[in-house]
Amino acid sequence: MGLPGLEYALPVFTDPLVIGLIILGTVAGVVVGALPGLSSSMAIALLLPFSLYLDPVPAISLLAALYCAGTYGGSITAILINAPGAPPAAATAFDGYPMAVKGEAGRALGIAAIASSSGGIFSVIVLLFAAPFLARIAYSFGPPEYFALAIFGLSMLASISAEAPVKNLIGGCLGLLIATVGVDLTTGVERFTFGVPELSDGIHFIPVLIGLFAVTELLSQAQKLGQEKFGVRLSAVKLPSLDDLRRVKGTILRSSVIGTFIGVLPAEGATMAAMIGYNEAKRWSDEPEEFGKGAIEGVAGPEAANNAATGGAMVPTLALGIPGSATAAVILGGLQVHGLRPGPYLFDEQPGLLYGIFFAMLLANVLFLFVGLAGAKIFSRISLVPPTLLWPTVFALCFVGAYGLEQSVIDVWVMMLAGLLGFVLKRHGFAPAPIIMGLVLGGLVESSLAQSLIIFDQQWTGFLGRPIALVFLGLASISVLWAPTRAAIGRLLPRNRRTA
Amino acid sequence: MKPSQIAAHALPALAGSIVWLATTVCAAQDVFPTRPINVVTHASPGGGTDATARAMLLGARSALGVSMAVVPKTGGSGIVAMNYVNNRPRDGYTVMAITPTHLFAIARGQGPLTIDDLVGVVRATDDPLVVMVRQDSDVKSLNDLIELGRRRSIKWGSAQIGGIDHVAGAILAQVAATQLSVVPFSGGGEIVTNLMGGNIDAAALNLTEALGQIQRGDFRALAVMAKERLALIPDVPTTVELGYDVVYSTIRGYVVLKGVPEDRIQTLESGMLAGMRQEAYQSYLRGSGLDSSGIAGREVWNAQIQRLYVDARQAMIDLGIIEEE
Repeated sequence: MGLPGLEYALPVFTDPLVIGLIILGTVAGVVVGALPGLSSSMAIALLLPFSLYLDPVPAISLLAALYCAGTYGGSITAILINAPGAPPAAATAFDGYPMAVKGEAGRALGIAAIASSSGGIFSVIVLLFAAPFLARIAYSFGPPEYFALAIFGLSMLASISAEAPVKNLIGGCLGLLIATVGVDLTTGVERFTFGVPELSDGIHFIPVLIGLFAVTELLSQAQKLGQEKFGVRLSAVKLPSLDDLRRVKGTILRSSVIGTFIGVLPAEGATMAAMIGYNEAKRWSDEPEEFGKGAIEGVAGPEAANNAATGGAMVPTLALGIPGSATAAVILGGLQVHGLRPGPYLFDEQPGLLYGIFFAMLLANVLFLFVGLAGAKIFSRISLVPPTLLWPTVFALCFVGAYGLEQSVIDVWVMMLAGLLGFVLKRHGFAPAPIIMGLVLGGLVESSLAQSLIIFDQQWTGFLGRPIALVFLGLASISVLWAPTRAAIGRLLPRNRRTA
Repeated sequence: MKPSQIAAHALPALAGSIVWLATTVCAAQDVFPTRPINVVTHASPGGGTDATARAMLLGARSALGVSMAVVPKTGGSGIVAMNYVNNRPRDGYTVMAITPTHLFAIARGQGPLTIDDLVGVVRATDDPLVVMVRQDSDVKSLNDLIELGRRRSIKWGSAQIGGIDHVAGAILAQVAATQLSVVPFSGGGEIVTNLMGGNIDAAALNLTEALGQIQRGDFRALAVMAKERLALIPDVPTTVELGYDVVYSTIRGYVVLKGVPEDRIQTLESGMLAGMRQEAYQSYLRGSGLDSSGIAGREVWNAQIQRLYVDARQAMIDLGIIEEE
């Protein structure tokens, strides 16, 4: 069985200009993705004017390569300095940074590159075969289905980190609370904005992320200075072994499927895909207690999912003209600047362009694997830099990252407050993961519930008429009941064996 | 920390930068422009306003001979952008992109500006709202929709509470004595998906947002909320023809604040108009299903801003959002 549209691959793979642009986009994407505060959507918007001097295929190839590589790049700083370069990489920091602390930075970076690349390639192949078909799925997801999906995402809240379930739930509620800041979607009323217009759009995600992860870690490191002798850990530059790859194989495949599916849903994107990818990696793991302490599945799970979501997000963008993510929205703008209107007919009228984009994405996903693996050896040396030099530098980077997002001083304050809050919470045994999860899913839970109830004329029974929503709500219930049930069975089983 | 304290810390920095800017401006009084021009938008990268601004800048840069950049200041229905622009020197180096949303905010009395502060430079797009339903809906015409609303409330998708498509729906319902309940979404794409998925009955979308769906026969356009029909869908009647004087359009244009010297406004106008005549902007318009009829100089644009504002105020009064003075 051959790939569809293979005849369109040749022009992509033989044109030195296109190849050069894809390489440029890949390298630029890794860099932009890695730096907190620079986002791939921002970089693509900046590149848009230049892309106009190119033909559509090379132009969109450049943007698509940047998109794919940018999503991977976010994992590098998440692993090395606990500062996710972009929101989708937040879940990668949960286990990636603990691995770097243990002296396994190279292993974590390698797994991230391999998982990202596999997830990306998987989703592009799905795209090649089934884009027009998958696009129809987007239509069957309305507010009730999004509500159920978000509830399913939240169902792992109690067990997402190794801390006590009740602390995770408290952390999750805190995240939900932060998500309520800003103009309420259904009433237009401002909540908790205290008259600061910058807060009317809600608290930005990036500054909270940088604060909770990087600034919190900086404060904890500052406490330890002088107490701990610093030793050079040469194992840090070691790449993952074949055994590691065998171990994460299943996780990568599962997350690729999850990521592609969630990526297809417009408005949901790589961040949610990564969260659910992490959840499921933990749920199906034989050693869920290792998560949060540096489990490689905890890196592979979110990374495969967030890169699979990039391919998925291109489905509604190209097939329906509905952007699947913020970055895809800018790529959509790029197509429009070239006088092309994405939509269902694009597949019939411009197959060369579409398959050209797909093959460019495929190539970008392969390329950043090499950039990532070669870079892992170099980047991982950052974890050998003495903390006294590293963390002050990271602190400066945090400011740039928080401010650079929108050139807003408010964001810098949010970052600092989040850092202080994270530090206090950490000392009392609260992990950042549930807060982040509440923050990511909180807005969606609330707005989709409000929308659903308007659609159902305020009748909760309306959900009974939505099979897809019921399936996800059912899965969420099983998910909540699963852990106590398994624990109960675990208590019963050995006793049974003894009596037998 | 309280917001007042945050402001107290932020203000000196801001004041410092203004002083610095003021001194650099004085040095270059005679020739304009000599340094980069910033175009402040209220939309995040990738949105319609952002894309329009970037496409315009491609040509305007060479016409004006300086570099131009888009500065996104998102949030608060354009209030963040208006605050930012209000704190910049009124020297022509800061241009603001506006949409009817800004005028609604000003009409509600929000933000630092009044309508007299806005001086139009050029209009970039004029994109009327089109009322649409799904093709297989029982609703075949605008009157069917209005009848439906008299039996049960119409589920009306809207991109923003207090935004243009919300106001358009609410005023239509009022004029036609029918009922609708607004289902808010966060963008046009979501509305298209939900209209297609049957979660809402109808919505007013820009033609650009749903042209593919209309051409393929997924959506049925009931009425154009304008005085004249659209060239791309010549069979669809206008609301005015049907007897409802409800005219709403997503208009994007550029303004500076009052106080910018007259000759600089003139330079900006001709530079930006030249930019929009170039191929980059024209092909952007074609790609989004528009034509160049939306482009207009400041005379037309200024008159329209005033008219839009009066209409926006009246709509706010009719909807009971503000009180008549």
